[in-house]
Amino acid sequence: MGLAIIDFASSRGVLRDIYDRMRERPLPPVYRPAHGGVPGIITAHSLDPHLIAKVFGTSTTLNGAGPLTWPERELVNATTSRLNQCFY
Amino acid sequence: MIADPQTVAEHATTPRMKMIAELTTLVTTTPWLLSRKVLGRAHAHGLSDEDVLHLILQTSYFGHLNRIADATGVPLDYSVQLQVPAIDPSCPPWPTASELVAGRPAIEISRRPTTATALSEWRNYIFHRDAPVTRRQRTLIARWVATWLGDGSISPPTDLTVNPLDDHLRAVAEVITLAPWKITDETFEPLRDNGFDDAGIFDVCATATSAGVFSRIEVALVALGH
Repeated sequence: MGLAIIDFASSRGVLRDIYDRMRERPLPPVYRPAHGGVPGIITAHSLDPHLIAKVFGTSTTLNGAGPLTWPERELVNATTSRLNQCFY
Repeated sequence: MIADPQTVAEHATTPRMKMIAELTTLVTTTPWLLSRKVLGRAHAHGLSDEDVLHLILQTSYFGHLNRIADATGVPLDYSVQLQVPAIDPSCPPWPTASELVAGRPAIEISRRPTTATALSEWRNYIFHRDAPVTRRQRTLIARWVATWLGDGSISPPTDLTVNPLDDHLRAVAEVITLAPWKITDETFEPLRDNGFDDAGIFDVCATATSAGVFSRIEVALVALGH
């Protein structure tokens, strides 16, 4: 089900460049996927590579800074996901 | 595991966490119902204006990730050890706003200048393009989403002529915005029948969910002053 997703191994050109930049971002180990590739939520945007930079550029300004603490941000994220009935 | 999504706030362990969950619920489901009274209660529970602003931005942003994940069907990166909550596709869509919210925001987004700049760049990218979705279609989608969420800062779509294809765009934008748990392959069939490929459908979804981020933030920040 769903739309096409281009993973890291299949990526080329602009998308590969953006994936490489995303992999270089500082990220808490717990958020790094065990498969060693790019997190799925980033690959979910692969049909519009330039959007990745816009969306996750915003993420950096929210997740890398307060005033909400990490646990509080996780509560916000988990609550939002549960309400939207989304497993992500 | 919390069986009923609507009861998340009741399970929080401290008054501050309970307030955070309650505010997150309002921003997600009915942002136009935020009010000065709610902001006062947030303050009483130890949340500053900066905390509330962060919460509104975080909730709106994460709602985008939920919707993109659902639209694409991306698999999880990890195995889930806990019991996975069941999705209830019969759950009714979120309600729509009965009136538009307009005015000055109670909390200025400029208090987080880097986030404001990032959102502005995101907005410009989404709405100022002509392909795959046309600029007119992007405008229509943004206006529909704004109306559903009660965003009075954007013109309602009533002054634009709508054709049969627009009706299909509206249907997809409506599910994305108000009932993302109902997204299935069938949701996109009318667009495929009209020549949209996966990139085009993704663009429709991304336009709708991005519009939802911007309108949700706008409505929440303004409603807190009413």
